Amino acid sequence: MKVGDPLPTFTHDRVSPDAMREWATFLRDDNPIHLDPAAVAALGLGDRVINQGPANLAYVINMLHAAFPSGTITGLSTRFLGNVRAGDCVVAGGTITSLKADEAECDFELRVVDGEPALAGTATIALNQQLS
Amino acid sequence: MEDLPPPPDVAGLSLDGAETYTIEPEENARLCRSTGAEPASDGTAHPIYYYIATQVGMGKTVAGLCAACDFDIDDGPMMVGSQAAFTHPLRIDTPYRVNGSIISLTRKRSRKLGVMDLLEYRLVLVDANGEEALACTNTWALPRKELA
Repeated sequence: MKVGDPLPTFTHDRVSPDAMREWATFLRDDNPIHLDPAAVAALGLGDRVINQGPANLAYVINMLHAAFPSGTITGLSTRFLGNVRAGDCVVAGGTITSLKADEAECDFELRVVDGEPALAGTATIALNQQLS
Repeated sequence: MEDLPPPPDVAGLSLDGAETYTIEPEENARLCRSTGAEPASDGTAHPIYYYIATQVGMGKTVAGLCAACDFDIDDGPMMVGSQAAFTHPLRIDTPYRVNGSIISLTRKRSRKLGVMDLLEYRLVLVDANGEEALACTNTWALPRKELA
């Protein structure tokens, strides 16, 4: 593992409207753009419900957990760039930008397959015994 | 910006929560599986609960936060950024309290959105011993169609 190395990607094959309904309860937020395609269309945002931003970030966190199984995330800085919609396949990936004995820093991105980036940012991971 | 009316003066508005928030094990498991992961077996929760716990546990709903900024949630607030610094991993079955406040509400012109307000607020999650588990700063764009 060294600076510049890509992190193994994490793929979520199909973003599900059922999962969006679950996330609406987790977040106590029943914004209709996550629940009702007609509401999405009324706002001119297409014809598929839009995934919650924190759910998109959760896919990235899963990627980081798989890349650093003994590590602990200590910092996340995220820019939300675009929408992920029902039925989309998304891929989370990243690159190591700094590496010390006890800490790694990474750039990350979540991208819709055949589409635009949905979010990007940086993460800091305490490595515990990761590199021993 | 001189030609635009100023945004509401909400900087400093308290977002302290009135009740504690606990990550329920069953919900954490459902959340993990909804994203294609299995829940941890060591009592830690999925880190995305940094966002959920602070949002649910703060002293206002999302709609209420928007209303404080004189913005109707049906006009489509958009998350544009979030920063989190964890002092400790979040744990299931642990009551947390949320403290926080609005940092700023700034009116801007955007090529993409027209006139919008950028809302920035900071929330801190504290455990029952008074120890800070994490702090986060979230930024939302509130499009002001009526001013476009």
